[in-house]
Amino acid sequence: MNRIELTRIPFIKNALNSRYPQLAVFIVMLVGYIFAILAGLIGTPVGSHNFSIVFVWIAWWAILILVAVPFFGRGWCAVCPIPLPGEWLQRGAVLSPPEKRPKWLNLRVPKMFRNIWLQNISFLLLALFSSVLLTTPNITGIVLAAMLFAAIGLSTVFERRAFCRYLCPVGGFIGLYSQTAPIELRIKDKQVCVTCEGKPCYNGSSAGYGCPWDVFPGGLTKNTYCGLCMECIRTCPHDNIAVNLRPFSADLAKPSTRMDEAFKAFIMLGSAMIYAGVLLGPWGIFKDAAYNVGSSAWFVYAVAFLAIIFVVLPGSFTLGILNTRNTIPLKQRFASLSSALIPLGLMFWVAFSLSFVLTNASYILAALSDPLGLGWNLFGTANATWQPMLTSILAPAQTLALVGGLIWSARAAQKAANEVKVSPIPVIVYCFIATSLMLWLLL
Amino acid sequence: MRFRISLLLFVMAGLVVAFAPLPVPAITPQERTFEINAHQFAYSPSEIKVNAGDTVTIRLVSTDVVHGLYVDDYDISVEADPGQSATLTFIADKPGSFRFRCNITCGAMHPFMTGKLTVGTNNWLYRSIALASIAVIAFFPLSSFKVQGKTKEMLRRL
Amino acid sequence: MKHSEFISRFLIVAGILLAVGAPLFLWARTPLIHARMAEDGGWNPDVIQAEVGKPLHLKITSDDVVHGFAVGQMEMQSVDILPGKVTDITLSFDKPGIYTFFCTRWCGLNHWRMRGTIEVGGSPSDPEPATVPLYVSLDLDLDAPHDAPLIPPTQPSAINGQPLTATNSITLSREDYLTHSPYDVFAELKNTSLTEEQRWDVVAYLWQSNTTSESLTNGKELYAQNCAACHGENGAGDGVFADDLATAGESSMQTMEGAMDMVMQAPVDFTDPRRMLGASPALLQGKILRGGMGTGMPMWGSIFTEDQIWDLIAYIYSFQFEYLR
Repeated sequence: MNRIELTRIPFIKNALNSRYPQLAVFIVMLVGYIFAILAGLIGTPVGSHNFSIVFVWIAWWAILILVAVPFFGRGWCAVCPIPLPGEWLQRGAVLSPPEKRPKWLNLRVPKMFRNIWLQNISFLLLALFSSVLLTTPNITGIVLAAMLFAAIGLSTVFERRAFCRYLCPVGGFIGLYSQTAPIELRIKDKQVCVTCEGKPCYNGSSAGYGCPWDVFPGGLTKNTYCGLCMECIRTCPHDNIAVNLRPFSADLAKPSTRMDEAFKAFIMLGSAMIYAGVLLGPWGIFKDAAYNVGSSAWFVYAVAFLAIIFVVLPGSFTLGILNTRNTIPLKQRFASLSSALIPLGLMFWVAFSLSFVLTNASYILAALSDPLGLGWNLFGTANATWQPMLTSILAPAQTLALVGGLIWSARAAQKAANEVKVSPIPVIVYCFIATSLMLWLLL
Repeated sequence: MRFRISLLLFVMAGLVVAFAPLPVPAITPQERTFEINAHQFAYSPSEIKVNAGDTVTIRLVSTDVVHGLYVDDYDISVEADPGQSATLTFIADKPGSFRFRCNITCGAMHPFMTGKLTVGTNNWLYRSIALASIAVIAFFPLSSFKVQGKTKEMLRRL
Repeated sequence: MKHSEFISRFLIVAGILLAVGAPLFLWARTPLIHARMAEDGGWNPDVIQAEVGKPLHLKITSDDVVHGFAVGQMEMQSVDILPGKVTDITLSFDKPGIYTFFCTRWCGLNHWRMRGTIEVGGSPSDPEPATVPLYVSLDLDLDAPHDAPLIPPTQPSAINGQPLTATNSITLSREDYLTHSPYDVFAELKNTSLTEEQRWDVVAYLWQSNTTSESLTNGKELYAQNCAACHGENGAGDGVFADDLATAGESSMQTMEGAMDMVMQAPVDFTDPRRMLGASPALLQGKILRGGMGTGMPMWGSIFTEDQIWDLIAYIYSFQFEYLR
């Protein structure tokens, strides 16, 4: 197998095994997150000069979609502060397992919610209100606080990281896209797990806690639901868990046939295209409709948004793949072939994000020095002016991303088509049309 | 071997499509004037088209609050208060499609207040779509090759 | 519990308390004046206390669009108030009283309503006698129509008027200029041997000679910053807000505050000779001072100094006359 085990490198192994480096990052992230909530609630209502908008929707989003997801899969989940207060409460400790564990309800999440439909819905909810969310510090502050409190609340009722696994809107798509990432966490030797007593990687022990993501590490074949929290590495008594470097999109060789994941791919593809048109396009009427939440124009916008995502995109996709007479049920073919949209969607989001990140990154300097818009100048950069960056490379970069994404998704389509014994051509043509549309919207 | 030759041919086709200079139609540059109204959060007209080499004058009329107009890539801008229109004159020497956007904070949706300036033809868009087409067309023969040895290894990594 | 656990918990709590406590503390201790479009509340707070002789330090920020700040009747250089940024201003007052501060960058249809007051207390000196504006002492009815019975067929030109005025030794005192309309002066010239067209040219020249080029420049700037948005950049009553004003629009706070029966009007067209040539400077001053009583025309009494108003009026007449360079 063409894998390079990173945990063989002593520096990496020690860094991941020890709880201190991770804790240091956690503290910085949690403090930053809470500060962002505060800034959103009491800082200037002007988004471009408020820490919460600038550091969440420009800085964090840029790092997430341009670096973390493509190269580290669920790497953000590894350092995300949202589950921490709830998890620390649940565990009764911040570092190693304490002698006396606190008694929380630790209920298992009901079966009907053990899928990513709730995450699809929570992402869509944010997406429909995104124009207001991305520009209004108050709203961003409230949403961040709501997620934090939801995570804490869920941790007191359910076992493990219920918010992260089943509710978080971000986790829904970075889980899906992590299948394309070049790193993975897997066991080294299956036989070791077969003979392992107690499976502490899942059930916990005095050395560490059971997997907060409700994943059995011994059975991990895909990145989708592993949050890279590294807990199992600490818990496994046989040193049988490794973090590997691997080829891109290795997980798509055997695509998933789950409908919730298939629709997630359409949700992400569709929303990237809609955002490109509404937010980056020259059509003011769409922007007004998207922003004036509650108006009749917004209702039309919301209905159109949902129709594109749930009817137009999957509908045309299904029509395209209908033509193949086949014994494998349509549902399975639909789900399997839609995995080709995973690399495509990721690159759509990269291309879209590059535009507004490069245009507005200069706000980061000012927001760093005057996060609340109170007239501070902490680092001397409060008067940094707005200046779009690297605009001459933007168009070529977007073309590279989108055409690269197309080739990548064609490859994924081929692998998926092989699995369900059909021709990949309809899917590739679909990807080509979508890519051309996205190119037209962005360029 | 045949695989590598085909791949090379397609890559070269792609480079040609991306970078080969297109013949520029000899259109005499004109002077053009546009009056663009700015309001929260759009311009009207929001799309303007000129020929390469034209001397473009944009008269920015703000109709509610103070707005600006900044042209991407040209890195030029103008701002106008309601009642005090301002003009921006420049020579459209860079061909292609450029967003112009508001550069004076004018309310919540300010970062998305955009319009589009097209100078000549939007060649880059056509090149990109052509590149995408080549990628798709190339995909089929290249993927049907029975590949051996080193190339197989390289492909498996993809 | 283990030491490491204790220290870790301490660091977490300390970090959070610091990240929340320090900014909250500093925020609570920063008295900011928030500027918002009038429809969203205007200045907050909009009443400020001050003392004679004590410098007043203000920190102002905008919560939405570009605003500006200046204090009326002080001929103060206005300062921009930018969204998300804080502007520091220091003011000092020699005399007690109530001063009006106002927004100086157009921020919507109701921009002119964005005003507040600074109540300056201190040792009360002898109250200055208020000067009665001309329109009051002349008992002018500001709302009565004032159309000129006769208008020139072409735009009168001061260039032509200048030699005519010289050869005919015609003069117009300052007082007569202020209290008479151009038509009045035209009518009084009928005893001369000039043609009607020539008389209008003389009126144009007389009007220009009662102002200076500096005043005209000043008036032009005041007009551009304060009037053009409604009255049009070329005075034709076609400014960007003209349509909203003509209809009793929802966007006008006059109707928002329930005064539905107020008649909204289109802004006056200063290029209309019938209306303008029948108006004396005193009448125009009155309209500017008092405002439009229910139309969208602001009252400028607390904002402009008397000199500023005469400069503005001189400029407004220049829409009617061709002046010498």
